[in-house]
Amino acid sequence: MASIINSLSFKNFFNYYGDYDQTEYEFKEGVNIIVADNGAGKSKFFNAFLWLFYDDVLDSDDKKRKAVKDFAVKIISDKAKNETEIGENVETGIKIEYSTGRYKFQIVKSFTATRIGEKISDNESWQVVMNDIEIDKTDHILPKYKPVYDADEKHRIINQLILPTLRQYSFFQGEEVDKMIDFTKKSSIEDAVRTLTNISKYEDIAKIVEDIEAKAYKDLNKQTKQKESHNERLEDALKKREELKNSINQENEKLEIQKELYTKAQEEYELLDAKYANASKRKELDEKISIKNKTLKSASDEYQRFLEGINNRFFDGNFSWITLGFENVVEDFKNKISTFRAARYEKRTLLQVAESPNDYFTILPSNSPDAVTLQQMIDKEHCYVCGTDAPKGSEPYNHLLKLKNRPNESSSKKQFVKNDLEDFFSRLQLNASPFLNKFDSIPQSVLRTKERELELKKRLDKLSSEVKALKSQRKDLLVTSNQDEDSDPRNIINQYKGSSNRMAQASTKIERLENTLKELKAQLLATEKEITSLRPKDIPEGYSANYEIAQDLVEATNKAKERVFDKMVSLLENHANEHFQNLIKYNDIKGGVLNFDKSPSGGISLDYIDEAGNEVSGASEGFQRMKKFAVVMAIISANTSNYNYPLLADAPLSAFGKAFNKGFFEAIPNVFPQSIILVKDLYDKDSESKLTDLGAKLVKDENIQTFYLNEVDGELAQIERTTKIERRK
Amino acid sequence: MNSQEFRSNLLLKRPRYAKSRIPVLDAFSEKGSKTVDYSRFGPYYEIYIYAMMLGIKNKKRLPLPPRDLTKDFIEIGKWKRDSSLVDFLLMVIFTKTDELAIDWNELEDLEESELSNVISKVVSLIEEYSNGGLEYLEELWEKGELDSSHYMFIDLYKDVKKN
Repeated sequence: MASIINSLSFKNFFNYYGDYDQTEYEFKEGVNIIVADNGAGKSKFFNAFLWLFYDDVLDSDDKKRKAVKDFAVKIISDKAKNETEIGENVETGIKIEYSTGRYKFQIVKSFTATRIGEKISDNESWQVVMNDIEIDKTDHILPKYKPVYDADEKHRIINQLILPTLRQYSFFQGEEVDKMIDFTKKSSIEDAVRTLTNISKYEDIAKIVEDIEAKAYKDLNKQTKQKESHNERLEDALKKREELKNSINQENEKLEIQKELYTKAQEEYELLDAKYANASKRKELDEKISIKNKTLKSASDEYQRFLEGINNRFFDGNFSWITLGFENVVEDFKNKISTFRAARYEKRTLLQVAESPNDYFTILPSNSPDAVTLQQMIDKEHCYVCGTDAPKGSEPYNHLLKLKNRPNESSSKKQFVKNDLEDFFSRLQLNASPFLNKFDSIPQSVLRTKERELELKKRLDKLSSEVKALKSQRKDLLVTSNQDEDSDPRNIINQYKGSSNRMAQASTKIERLENTLKELKAQLLATEKEITSLRPKDIPEGYSANYEIAQDLVEATNKAKERVFDKMVSLLENHANEHFQNLIKYNDIKGGVLNFDKSPSGGISLDYIDEAGNEVSGASEGFQRMKKFAVVMAIISANTSNYNYPLLADAPLSAFGKAFNKGFFEAIPNVFPQSIILVKDLYDKDSESKLTDLGAKLVKDENIQTFYLNEVDGELAQIERTTKIERRK
Repeated sequence: MNSQEFRSNLLLKRPRYAKSRIPVLDAFSEKGSKTVDYSRFGPYYEIYIYAMMLGIKNKKRLPLPPRDLTKDFIEIGKWKRDSSLVDFLLMVIFTKTDELAIDWNELEDLEESELSNVISKVVSLIEEYSNGGLEYLEELWEKGELDSSHYMFIDLYKDVKKN
């Protein structure tokens, strides 16, 4: 029957302050979720199991495991330490209750610390005594706990919760999933197969039969040499056999070296696989960002220039905003200048008349009519001004002549005012003309300016949100791949290609060596046949038969071993695919299967093959982790019997994405009878329920049996801090 | 004095502003270096002209304080070079014959010194209107009634009732 953890409680264990009954989680068969933000007891929860299984805890400062007895002072809740007076003592411990089909066990591991010094965080201030492990056992039929005293039985009870060999598949934190199934190590799947099958027995048998074969061969040769009838030809053949065996050994050594090279290159390749896709995407993004940034920069400059130029439109004759509301100036000035001109003209005329009353006099503006028109009037003997005839010799004709011969006014202009300002005023009017005809168009022009600004602003906003989107894509890539901001994507790309080349080279050499070996082995076989026929016929039959049977046994055992192995691999492959499909059920990944393939180095590589049969490489890290998790589940479910142990996992959901989370929670009950999942990604401190949307959905999900939310009041000083466990389901 | 001389004498004048207006001048022109969320004027003369026209629109003339409390800046002739802006401004000013207490024709018969006086009166009128406009701006600014926008100045200019 499966082991099911019924409850876990703490006493003054890190931030889990208080007695066991104050900090208790109850769990049920099926999926149990604990949501906790960073620092809210997730790793402490794991520490409880590290203590239970290994008497260790993880030091969150250096991520190294430390023995509980050496680390005790740090394990005690600071609040509890602070409340313990000198001379008094405090107990710290963990309590786990689990049941199998028939029995229920309660395990308590604890220590007692006596305060002997002032400074509570100093090791010297405390005397620590580790308490005996207390285990109580009860039968479901007779619910009365009875203590277990026998040390071996205690040990067995602890191990039975999760068997040591299976803990690696059942008890892990975040990134450990990656290390757990490390496909770069050729042994990882083999190890899994070994854990799950009786293949080691076949290996033992193979070793025994190989020994038998060697002995049979030796005996046979001994017999052969004792017979005088053995001849030189046999001697030669035996020598040849030795030579061939030596060559085979040598080639095998070379092969091993190449396989090692291959494995190394493959390790590097696999390691860089996720990073490579990431790096090439990053490089692509970098280029896009750089181009976009340039466009953005010029758009931003243009916008800035536009804004700076807005008020310039007051003073620019093309816009003339400054004239807005000064329409009447034009009329006003026009009236004033004509009054001015009339007055000064009158003044001048009067002056002229007074000076030379008999001189030419006209009230026409000066220099009009012009000389050309005057000549025409003289020629035609007609005055265009008054429309009457002016026959030659008449008074009007003489007047025309007089006009034509009038003195050039500008040259002989007499100073009739002290300051001649006519030109000053005329020039003002003339020059200002660009500012005098825009009045009506100004409101429109202001409107157009605003529209243009809006246009520029829109373009700028669009560009800057595009850049932002690209940058956040790039940031996401960095986050999912744990890469430094500074790491140059080009280096990764080069390394990746380098390792791929080395793999190809080693692979070619391995193939060549294998061909050589094949040939050598064929020669060896032929030589052995030759030896058989050269052997004296009078050797006792038993010796030859022994040797032949031994040879057959070796071959049969090796084949059986291979078959068992291959069968298990293909079983794993089937199971892994089944789980993988469940895990990605809600992802929009099209088709595709996981493919277990023997690599040239003899390891097993795991590839993701798309519908067209092409290998999909370098998917996101979340995707890589999904693949691995599918294999972990396969290792467990491929076991012929049911898996009887709970899953304790700190799920790094952030790397997976929402769709995977949903698949994950649906898929785990298929394999693990009980799972306790700690997640921080469902925590949302800003939400009223403190849960994300997915978190809120999961509370209602019928697959989820219990649901806890841990909270720590970060506002409080460390010595006041406690973890509050709130049960939501 | 002929037209040419009259014009150059006028254009060589450097109008003054009260030193107390420096903060508002700086706030609204690019000489002030703070970044702001409204579009400013470029050189001082722009805000100066704007203020003057605003003063005229509002009919707000405000004499400058005594000379040592004022400062001058570039000559009128250098305001917006190669532009007829100044011609337009002078058109506006010279139509204010009542305020200047001048008659264009009479100007032509004035003694040189008297005419120079007229030039001074013209400059004073420019200064007083500008000062009036600046005070108006400053009041709005201090009361927080200027909405910081890129169109703050044109909007304000539009809203003043027509002269």
